[in-house]
Amino acid sequence: MSQFPLHRGLRAAGLLGAIIAMPLWAGLAAAPAMHTTAGERHNDRTTWDSVFSAAQAGRGETTYKQLCARCHMETLAGGDEAGELTGSAFMSSWNGQTLAALHERIRTSMPTDTPGVYSSQQVTDVIAYLLHFNGFPPGALELTHTNDALQNIRFVTTPP
Amino acid sequence: MTFSRCSAACLVLLAVSPTILRAQSPRAQSPRTAPFTTAGGEWPSHTGDTRGTRYSPLDQITAANFSTLEVAWRFKTDQLGPRPEFKLEGTPLMVGNVLYTTAGTRRAVVALDAVTGELLWMHSENEGARGAAAPRPLSGRGLAYWTDGVSARILYVTPGYRLVALDAQSGVRIRTFGDSGAVDLKREMDSPVLPDLETGEIGYQGAPTVARNVVIIGAAFREGGTPKSYRNNKGDIRGFDVRTGKRLWTFHTIPRKGEFGYDTWLNGSADNAGNTGVWTQITADEELGLVYLPIESPTGDYYGGHRPGDNLYGESLVCVDLLTGVRKWHYQLVRHPIWDFDLAAAPILADITVDGKAIKSVALPTKQGILYMFDRVTGKPIWPFEERAVERGDVPGEWYAPTQPMPTKPAAYARNGVLPSDLIDFTPALKEAGLAAASRFKLGPIFTPPVVSKAEGPLATFSNGPTNGGSNWPGGSYDPDTHMLYLSATNASPSALGLVVPAKGVSDMDYIRGFAPGAARGGFTVQGLPLLKPPYGTITAIDLDKGDIVWQVPHGETPDAVRNHDALKGIAIPRTGQAGSVGTLVTKTLVIAGDPEVTTLAPRPRGAVLRAYDKATGKEVGGVNLPAPQSGSPMTYTVGGKQYLVVAVSGGPYSGEYIAFRLPTPSAR
Repeated sequence: MSQFPLHRGLRAAGLLGAIIAMPLWAGLAAAPAMHTTAGERHNDRTTWDSVFSAAQAGRGETTYKQLCARCHMETLAGGDEAGELTGSAFMSSWNGQTLAALHERIRTSMPTDTPGVYSSQQVTDVIAYLLHFNGFPPGALELTHTNDALQNIRFVTTPP
Repeated sequence: MTFSRCSAACLVLLAVSPTILRAQSPRAQSPRTAPFTTAGGEWPSHTGDTRGTRYSPLDQITAANFSTLEVAWRFKTDQLGPRPEFKLEGTPLMVGNVLYTTAGTRRAVVALDAVTGELLWMHSENEGARGAAAPRPLSGRGLAYWTDGVSARILYVTPGYRLVALDAQSGVRIRTFGDSGAVDLKREMDSPVLPDLETGEIGYQGAPTVARNVVIIGAAFREGGTPKSYRNNKGDIRGFDVRTGKRLWTFHTIPRKGEFGYDTWLNGSADNAGNTGVWTQITADEELGLVYLPIESPTGDYYGGHRPGDNLYGESLVCVDLLTGVRKWHYQLVRHPIWDFDLAAAPILADITVDGKAIKSVALPTKQGILYMFDRVTGKPIWPFEERAVERGDVPGEWYAPTQPMPTKPAAYARNGVLPSDLIDFTPALKEAGLAAASRFKLGPIFTPPVVSKAEGPLATFSNGPTNGGSNWPGGSYDPDTHMLYLSATNASPSALGLVVPAKGVSDMDYIRGFAPGAARGGFTVQGLPLLKPPYGTITAIDLDKGDIVWQVPHGETPDAVRNHDALKGIAIPRTGQAGSVGTLVTKTLVIAGDPEVTTLAPRPRGAVLRAYDKATGKEVGGVNLPAPQSGSPMTYTVGGKQYLVVAVSGGPYSGEYIAFRLPTPSAR
């Protein structure tokens, strides 16, 4: 697009560029890292580790269509009011967070007119659907919310 | 009745707060005859003034010191409703050292000490089932202030669509306003709200616009892609007396039989059609006594077969008289709307000079990424519009407008249609993958019509402008001294305009938005990267005297998914900016806006950045960290010789919070 050359910001080149592109006020002390919790959680799995099953995502899709799609649309693209559940903004807002945080967010606040109407299991299934839709790989086992299992799975945007 | 919650909550602080006493403002001495202005360091109306400008002349915070800003206070909103909110979109007001704003899942009103953030009073209404049925729930975008020089009041619209007037000092309802302090906006309609007052679909999450002594109220509905019926409640716009709550006028956004424009709805379809309200901010020229209504789509955002014809005043800018609501002029931006090009941003009133001639103009940012400019007295375009022939679609039963008006100036400031050249092309392999992903869709320029979704393709028309592209409700900012307009825009919020026959019992529409059953899915991403190429989001400066884009910069850090992607290692990628329309604030020297997404870029903590740009050049000159994306537009004020910046943040796992910044206290000598 013709607009892009108008950009007056800083140019980046790979890793070095990413550092250069950081504004000076951000400091230059460290290289960029995807998230800084490595080391704290050695046993962390991520959304790339086939943490849900395709059948579960199918159940989640049915639930999603019942109440979620009204606002977030069948395309998950969101609408005038509801946020998108796919794409850059969605991915970045959950990048590095646990699936437990995503589960709590959905369970306590959605749908906005009748929050709490879904069981923890249904919310877990909807998460499986969201993951499937966004290109994360399904596996043999289902995602489960019991025993704080979701605390140990991290939403990670970039493939390993 | 469910009005009782407020009293107990309000009274707690009322009796004991000495701060209340100093809350009463310099403004209290100035009657409501002069227009609202930020000139005195206050922020008395939603956009600073009623003109949509989001401008303040304050100049203590500058390029030299912006990055040293410190948090003055935070106000967390979790406990203002029965559950936390993650979508805090308010812009506070500041009058007389008190900050007023809406917050929380019940849309509580709070008054805060502008220096410390201390809660002075809180008002909230538990509207029960009516509140739960609200088409526009949650905390809303703000409120309005009014004073006659003796007393002052705060006005806001509840989720259940009541206009409430509160005493600005105590937070208590003004009993002489409406029915004990509230006007039931569902009752004061020319056509009854159906099916009943409790569940009848209509609401408003914007801030009421107070101009002179009139309160103007918008009308909003549920998402319009999959309506239950082609019949719906009508989005009439109304003016009320700010003192009494008496309805002064109603403007029929869908003409009734016998009114001008009724014949633009063929087969009498105006009788059934609904929506066509104003869900964004309404702008008023207090001096001229004119109101500018940015009107949304009629029922059925993407299918108009039940409403053949141009459908006035759908997607039109309408100018009405402030005191009578009588139409002065109108301009329909999109004939027979089927793209969800709701007029989503507040019109901006700009007194400009074109070729030596002074013009009172109105500039309208749009989802289309096109700035439509008119003489705001006559409605005549500032620069000529041309009639452009547009594609006629083939959706059964649809009615198509053959041409659409297109401004010749200024140039589009955001992507609207999607062509193959708009797709990801970082590497040949990604380009190929992008073309393959897009092959399921119909591509085309702006006004490429929606299609019936087919599993074998096309699944939908793929576009950027509809729904969430270009500019949205945060609108723009305008500097009345330099005549420069600043607009954030998103270039990468894809929309899929596919139609399906609704399942039995879902809707009586012939078509609603959706994907063909059995169609392969997948988002608008390629290996986790956006299908559209950068810049994903920008801020643009436009010289309104000339109609020229002066600068444009990507706004927001390059998203993690791009910066860390394996396939992009070693490839130089200029900062991409981020998708998402965010509100800008313009001050004496700076344009200020926060990132719409969070990123993780050491050494700063995971989060977003509130950025400052030199408003003359677009050069980024500073930033401070935010724990979450900017979700409401920033505002500024000065108290005790110190300038403050306040911004609402929320999103993802981070619940709503207002954060106030000011410059650090210098060390004692």
